[in-house]
Amino acid sequence: MLSLRDVSLALQGKALIKAFSLDIAAGEIVTVMGPSGSGKSSLLSFIGGDLDEAFTAQGEILLHGERLNDVPPERRGIARLFQDDLLFPHMTVGENLLFAVPRMPQDERVAAMMAALETAELKGFENRPPHTLSGGQRSRVALMRALLARPRAILLDEPFSKLDRELRVSIRGFTHDHIVKRQIPALLVTHDLGDAPLGGRILKLTAAGEVIDV
Amino acid sequence: MLRQLAALPLFLIFLLPLALSLALILPTIAEAAAFKALLNHPQLWGAAGLTLFTGLISTVLSLICALMIIAGRIDKPPQAGAMLALPHLSLAIGLSLLIMPAGLLARIIALPFGWTSPPMWATTQDRYGLALTAALVLKETPFLVWAFASLLNRDDLRQAFRGQSAVARSLGRGPASVFLRIIAPQLLNRTVWPLVAVLAYSLTVVDMAIVIGPTQPPTLAQIIWTDLNDAEPAIEARGAAGVLVLSTVILLLLWVVGLSVRLGRPYSRKWLSGPPDTGHRKISFLTQTWGLWGLFYSAIVILLLFQSASGLWPFPDLLPESLTFSAWEKLLSDGRPLLTSFLLALGTAMTALAASVVWFEGMRPSGDKIMLWLAAFLLCLPSLLIGLGQYRLFLALGITGTALAMFLAHVLPVVAYVFIMLQGPYRGFDQRWQTTAAGLGQRRVAFLRQIKWPMLKAPILAAFAVGFAVSIAQYVPAQLAAAGRYSTLPIEAVTLSSGGNRALVAAYGAALMALPLIVFLLAQWLSRPRWRAR
Repeated sequence: MLSLRDVSLALQGKALIKAFSLDIAAGEIVTVMGPSGSGKSSLLSFIGGDLDEAFTAQGEILLHGERLNDVPPERRGIARLFQDDLLFPHMTVGENLLFAVPRMPQDERVAAMMAALETAELKGFENRPPHTLSGGQRSRVALMRALLARPRAILLDEPFSKLDRELRVSIRGFTHDHIVKRQIPALLVTHDLGDAPLGGRILKLTAAGEVIDV
Repeated sequence: MLRQLAALPLFLIFLLPLALSLALILPTIAEAAAFKALLNHPQLWGAAGLTLFTGLISTVLSLICALMIIAGRIDKPPQAGAMLALPHLSLAIGLSLLIMPAGLLARIIALPFGWTSPPMWATTQDRYGLALTAALVLKETPFLVWAFASLLNRDDLRQAFRGQSAVARSLGRGPASVFLRIIAPQLLNRTVWPLVAVLAYSLTVVDMAIVIGPTQPPTLAQIIWTDLNDAEPAIEARGAAGVLVLSTVILLLLWVVGLSVRLGRPYSRKWLSGPPDTGHRKISFLTQTWGLWGLFYSAIVILLLFQSASGLWPFPDLLPESLTFSAWEKLLSDGRPLLTSFLLALGTAMTALAASVVWFEGMRPSGDKIMLWLAAFLLCLPSLLIGLGQYRLFLALGITGTALAMFLAHVLPVVAYVFIMLQGPYRGFDQRWQTTAAGLGQRRVAFLRQIKWPMLKAPILAAFAVGFAVSIAQYVPAQLAAAGRYSTLPIEAVTLSSGGNRALVAAYGAALMALPLIVFLLAQWLSRPRWRAR
């Protein structure tokens, strides 16, 4: 479970998000919506551990009961997906995936990578450079890469916003299915209500900094 | 037709002289006797070893230092522009004054140790070329930092690197690992030309080597330079053969480096995507030292100025007995080198700027590629090679030792720098301004004069300042083209460096530095936004 306790966020002394608490269960996707500049992405940065120095944040981040506030990003076990797929351009698709596989014998690492490619319906793409893939294919690789790291939680920062409508629906379903199947708590930031999973919880950030559970 | 005319100025001052200069070197290939004489040169192999050592070590060290400095400053790339304004020769003179046995450093150490005479240490012109290597590292590191910083100052790249770093860290990689596996390979892919330029420069530098480099044996470039300046045709031919050999060595080295990169790629790729390592420590050691580099450069500037105004300064005194401006009076009393350097820099920078602007206004952007490639190619060529080619061209035209030869010798590298500096900002100018101005009834000339050039004032002035600095620093082509009839600041400074008048050498080193610095400051002042001036 990913828990936030009395978390608040301010930018240069001005409150962006007033103190709120939240529990996200395993396999649950909680959606955060709000106007631009309301601090949605900064909230994810705080949880992920790379909040810009211009911001000040209060409150506790707990993952399965472990306090993460002082843990560096690489040891939090929290994967992230952004608007851009951010595949490393100097690595092949296979290398991008291998980059995320934890330390284990090389043949097992390669097997994990191949399995991920198969899941993403991209078998045979391992030696392709990322720029030769379509937008949807790149998105699937980015998600697989995040999942290969065996994250304990996942943060989604408008990962579908740059996809066209048709692709958006399929990638959204693909992402939700995998998060639920692997029982990972997830926090999704979006401007589009359609990105939220059906029946999932939705938090709305107001311009006044309130967090309302809708 | 008009389009072709727009290419004419650059064709006349850059493309044609470059092509002819390179073509005129080719006959040397057939001069077997010259190559044989070179092979029999008693200092050849020692010099070659020393050249490879100083050139390779300084390039590798500069690259490592630059990468480590930039590693912790991806979000706020360091400013290295001011350091680039200090000419190589000024830095060599300044460093030499700092570390020589009777230099400032020895005087500082002498105090606690009670030394009464300078130590018998060969701290400059040492037999292993360590002082030359240090000077090259100190000068080339800021250049590479600047090259990396210019990439990181691009919004698109900075955003991409920031996002990729966040993703990589969320996948379990520490900051050091992220920099080495994600950022550094992408930076290096984009900075091949500057790296080649640093390697070529370090292997062929002449003026710095004369001031601070080894003498017994000297570097290969120094041997070649001595030969080229010899009146005996056979010796001069041996020098020309040496230029070709040195250029071939650079090509071979680049081929070896390229081959090693290609052969090592499978291993490096495996490492790039390898399992998470323990690289969780921050890369902070050299990043934190960037301030020290600034301090060192400031110290060199102050030392040059101070030494140039020093009177009698016996060892181990920390301060001279008196301050005097006699060195400056001497420099100014025969002001011809200063005036020649200034006029050449002014003329070549203005010509290069005008020719580049005419090109940009008349030629299609697709034509820039070949010019950019040729400019980068020229900057990677050893100055000895270009200098020799130009010298032969001027001899063929019968203009050696004339003002025209001096101008052509200086303008070639100036054009390369000005074109590279200006191409991005000039082509990046939003064409909708022109459409808007045309819609308001503005003619093209009025648009250029009142809208475009004022809006591009900062990059135009910056390109001019860089061109000016490049011209001021030319030594090899200037010396060959001058044929003893003209003297410039670098020519005088190098000649004086072998003498004992430290104040006068420092004055020339300071003058060499002051002119470009004044122009840089002036350009910066003129570039300030109007609203801030009010």
